[in-house]
This record gives sequence, C-alpha cells and structure tokens, in this order.
Amino acid sequence: MRQLDPTTFRPRLRVLNREQMLSIHTAALEILEKTGFRIEHDPTLKRLVNSGCRRGEDGFVRMPSYLVEEALRSAPRCITLYDQAGHAFMPLTDGNFFYGTGSDTIFTYDAHTGERRRTVLKDTGNFARLVDALPNVSFSMSMGNPEDVPIERIYVHVFAEMVRESNKPIVFIADSGTDIEKIHQIACVVAGGEEALKEKPFILNYSEAISPLQFPRNVVEKLVFCAEKSIPICLPSGCNAGGGGPVTLAGALALGIAENFAGLVIHQLVNKGAPFLFAPNVSVLDMASSVVSYGAPEWSLTQAALADMRDELYGLPIWAFAGSTDSKILDAQAGAESMFSIITAMLCRANLIHDVAYMEFGSTSSLESLVLADELIAMSRQFVEGIPVNPSTLALEVVERVTKSSENATFLADEHTFENFKEAHFLPNLLDRRQYEVWAADGAEDTYTRCNNEARRILEEHRVEPKPTGILKEIESILSEQ
Amino acid sequence: MEKLYISITEGLISGDNEKTEELTQQALESGLQAQDILDKALLKGMEIVGARFKNGEMYIPEVLKCARTMHCAIDVLAPYTSENDTNSRGSIVIGTVQGDLHDIGKNLVGMMCEGAGFEVIDLGIDIKAQEFVKAVEKNGADILAMSALLTTTMPKMVETLHMLEKAGCRENLKVMIGGAPVTEDFANEIGADGFAPNAASAVDKAKEFMEEIESPRAAA
Repeated sequence: MRQLDPTTFRPRLRVLNREQMLSIHTAALEILEKTGFRIEHDPTLKRLVNSGCRRGEDGFVRMPSYLVEEALRSAPRCITLYDQAGHAFMPLTDGNFFYGTGSDTIFTYDAHTGERRRTVLKDTGNFARLVDALPNVSFSMSMGNPEDVPIERIYVHVFAEMVRESNKPIVFIADSGTDIEKIHQIACVVAGGEEALKEKPFILNYSEAISPLQFPRNVVEKLVFCAEKSIPICLPSGCNAGGGGPVTLAGALALGIAENFAGLVIHQLVNKGAPFLFAPNVSVLDMASSVVSYGAPEWSLTQAALADMRDELYGLPIWAFAGSTDSKILDAQAGAESMFSIITAMLCRANLIHDVAYMEFGSTSSLESLVLADELIAMSRQFVEGIPVNPSTLALEVVERVTKSSENATFLADEHTFENFKEAHFLPNLLDRRQYEVWAADGAEDTYTRCNNEARRILEEHRVEPKPTGILKEIESILSEQ
Repeated sequence: MEKLYISITEGLISGDNEKTEELTQQALESGLQAQDILDKALLKGMEIVGARFKNGEMYIPEVLKCARTMHCAIDVLAPYTSENDTNSRGSIVIGTVQGDLHDIGKNLVGMMCEGAGFEVIDLGIDIKAQEFVKAVEKNGADILAMSALLTTTMPKMVETLHMLEKAGCRENLKVMIGGAPVTEDFANEIGADGFAPNAASAVDKAKEFMEEIESPRAAA
C-alpha cells in the first residue's frame, strides 16, 4: 500500500504568543469602552446609541465589548472578489495572498522620459493595464491622483479608467457618499446590475478613519453605503506609531484595532454579514523626516502581529501592504525595502496586500517598480511554498540511475530534471544571473533599465480584453452627468 | 554674563525645563534684559537645535522637548518684557482647510515654528476660508499656513486666497501651504507665497518670509 506523503510545511511567520494577543485585544476593547471615539454622522450615532453605546458629555461614544464580539461573529470569514467578467478570482481567506497597487500618488515616473512628473489619468490606465498583464499582481488601485481631472471628480474618473484598462478586480477610493454612488453605478453596469454585483463583487472600497479615534462624516457615509450595498470594504486608520498613535507598537496596534472595530460594529449594525476586512494599518512616523514610512520593518512586524491575531482570535480576511519603499528612485534601498515587505506579508498569511510599487512613501509611483515587484512576489512564493517531500521529489531512483550510468549520465540531462525543473526552481526573468561577459555583451543593463524595458514592452504589447461597446457607452454617459 | 547665557542655552538644548527656568530667573535677577536673554540664549539655543536636527543628530521628539523648555523660559521672561520688546519672531496663523480633519502635520509645523520663536495662532482643523481671513485680520498675522491631506480639500486653499484678496489683507501677508498632496507647482499656480514639504522646511520658509517682510520695513 502506498503511504501518504508528509504534509508540506509552509514556512510562516509568527510574532506574537497568545498572551500578547489577548493583552492587545483587551487593550483595544478598553479603548472603545473607556476612551471612546468621535463620530460625525447623526443617523449612525443614533444607531450606535440605540444598540448599547453611550455618548459621553465629552462627545465621545463609548462602545461595550459585546458589540465588537457580535460583529466579529457576523462578519464573513471569506470574501471572494471576482474579475470583471464574473470569474471567482481572489478568495480572501486563510493564507491566500493577493498583491495589488496603491492609490493616489501625486507623482509618477514617466516610462518614456524617465522624468518624475505629476500623475495624469493616463497613468492610472497604464498601471491598470500592467496589472492586467502581470501574473502575480491581482488587483488594481488608481495609483495616480491625476491633475488633468477636476478634483471633485477624481475618484469616479480613475475608477472608469481602471475599468477601461483592466479586467482584474478593483480596489477603489471615494471621497464621500456622493461619488461612491457614481462609482457603484459604473460597477453595476460592468457586472450586469446591482444584484449581479452583489453576487459577484469585483470591487472593494478602501476608506480611512482618522487616528486617534475619529470618524468624519464623509467616511461614515461611505462605510454605511458599502454595508447597505454589500460592497466589501476595508477601513484602516492612519494609526502610525508616534504620529496617529503611541510610539510603542503594542499601543499603536491596540489603538488601530479599536478604530477598525468601531468601523466593523457600525458596518455590521447596518447590515449583518456584509463583507468587512480586518484592516488596521500600523506603520511608524519617521522620527527624523516625519513621513509615514513605507519601508519600515515595524510595519511588517505589526502586520504579522495582526495576522497572528486574525488567525488566533478574529478569523476575518486581512488587509496589508507590501512592495513599497521610501526611496525616491528604483535603487538598492527600493529593492531591499520592497522585498522585505513582500515576503513578510506572504509569510504572515496576509490576504489582500496593497501599495505595491509605491515609491517615496506613497508620494510617487513607478511602473518599473511594479514590474520588479511582480518578480519579487514570484520569488517569495517559491520560498513560501516550502519543500514538497514525496517519492518523486526525493528522487532516489534518479540518484541511482545517474550515479550508476555507464554513459556519463548527468542530472541535468535526466528526464526527471526535464519534467520537474520549472516547479522545482524559481526561474527569474528580470533578476540577472548571467556571467559578467554575457551580461556586458548584452548591453550591461542594470535592474532599472531591464524593468523599464519590460514595462514598456508590456504596455505596447498587452491587449486588455475589451468590454462591450454598450457598457463603455453607458459608462461614458454616467461620467458626463453632472 | 556670557557664561550664564551659555548655561541657559545648554539647559534648553538638553530639554531641562527646571534648570532652564531657574537659570533664566537668575539671569533676570542679575540685571540682564529679557530681550537679550531671549535673543542671546534661548533663540540661539533653538538655532543650534534646528541645525542638529538637520544634521540628523537630533530627532523630532527631542526638538519638541526643547521647544517646550523654551516656552517655560519665555513664561519666566514674560513679566519682564515691555511692550517695545519683540518677544516673537513673527506671528503665524495656522490650520487645516475646510473638510480636512487630519492635523498631525499641521500640529508639528505649529510646534516647530513656536520652538523657533514664532507666535503661533493655531485655529485647529476644518477651518473655513472666512475664519482664516478673520484670524489673520484680528491677529495682524505675518504668515498664514494652511494644510490639507485630502486632494479634495485643496480647492479650499484657493478659496481662502481669494477671500484674503477680497478682504484686502493679502498685501502684508505671506501664505504658505503644505500637506501630502500639495506640491510646489500647486503653490505657485494658486498664488501662495511658498510651499513646505515638511515641518523643518516650514520653519525655514517662515524665517525667510520674515526676512522679506522686515527688509522693506528696515529700508523704510
């Protein structure tokens, strides 16, 4: 009888023990019960008070722990995002990881001139098209905050641009309850109606509360809208250690979780079972430059801590960041920082991982960096998949065959190698492993140049499956409405 | 006397409130002028702190601690300053624009400017154009500093500049803007006088503004 293969151990990162998790969890609940939060949305305030929250004379809303526990029970454990053609594409659950871009960079690098310039709408399209083509990047965010679109309509226009230039899922930003309705309208057109979109959502909203403990009206409007329409949402706050929250990571985590849970409770009170991601964002405020760092090891650490708590205590799909850098150009710092967060996000079992290809802590974006990240994700995946152990991979017969061969047999020429090498090894495309002479004779291109060439090649060659003309026309007419 | 100035400066740089207060009191009792103590010991100390920060020898929390110490010392000086004394470098009205509640950056700029000797009138968050104008008029401010984190609130900066113009208080006022989506080009485009990418640059910009403001005054 053939015996079972040993289960493949998947390398993973664990950074908290159960006692630490429970202490942070209790601290988060205490913040909600004792300190409370501020919220600027009367119907929601009423709803909270009617559900057992108390509004103090200081204007802060105190939330009892049982509301959090109830909301954690009613929110779904798996959220599946579909592509724009209605195929299940991203089951956000367990250790599944999906990487995507970020939103709202003010500057980008022009792939043709190399110049750092203000982003325009076309850049959002270029990033979306690149995402559409890249095998290891799963969803689009706008990347740009374009200067050639009226400011009050930016989010509707970048959304439409991503719809035109890609068929992968879209994580979108909106300003308030007004533009989110338009975006939803466009998404309904693409999906074939509101019910179809609810059934097979290809969109997810990213909104942010303000640390510490503040929920402005426009944010609550979006939260309530997403709950009502069952649009998956994540609602982190900017709880960076030292700026939005305490400088020590445990305190910043507790505050970030408290803020995220206040959002979760509001969301589940509006519509039990509507999809909500566990998503505190806890980076650090850099003590020298005062920027929120996108290359800090602490952010990867807090992310792993949150993923531990998700696994052990909460069960919800979890949001994360990776593939970003504080560096201004695609250099060694950019490579080191991008890779650090890419592999740790994967190792800690984060699900929806955004901000890939952010430069300069999110102020600038780079197509080259996105192409490189695609390769770094593949490289990390090779590592995280671990080492399958079974008769075929142990390959005892092959050892016997090659070593005992009378015909100078080599492993390299063996059939077993031919059949297995593509899975057994990571085969880089952009990372160069050739000898110096070969590399020099081929133009001596550095990483940036190779990534630039690849980004331009994809943008020229990749054809996005076009949407039916009827859909595009409807979108145009929604865009032209005032 | 020189020695006392140096000790005050040292106390300030180490962020020692008690020591600095005590030495400041001593200096006053020994007959030194409040204005001299401010200029030669305290502001000088903050100059050194600023330079060390720029060199990467000090971090923001340390700078802010020194700024607090400076305030304690200024409180000791207050009863001894006459109306003719200029106990500040200039005055700055600051706030986040209407619709924007993100204030970490704004607070940091405020604290750093105070530390550098400016009088800072912090209006807080979500400030309407009209409120900025009123505060500038009421305080006879030299500088207005506005911040926005959300792109969607940036047009409020334009609105405020228009209102300042209309109210006739633009001429003697320097306006600087900042915040994550704000760029130098945007500042130029909307007719602000300056842009600062971070709090330390905002302090430099404010000092520059004061030199520009004061040089025609001196000439007159």
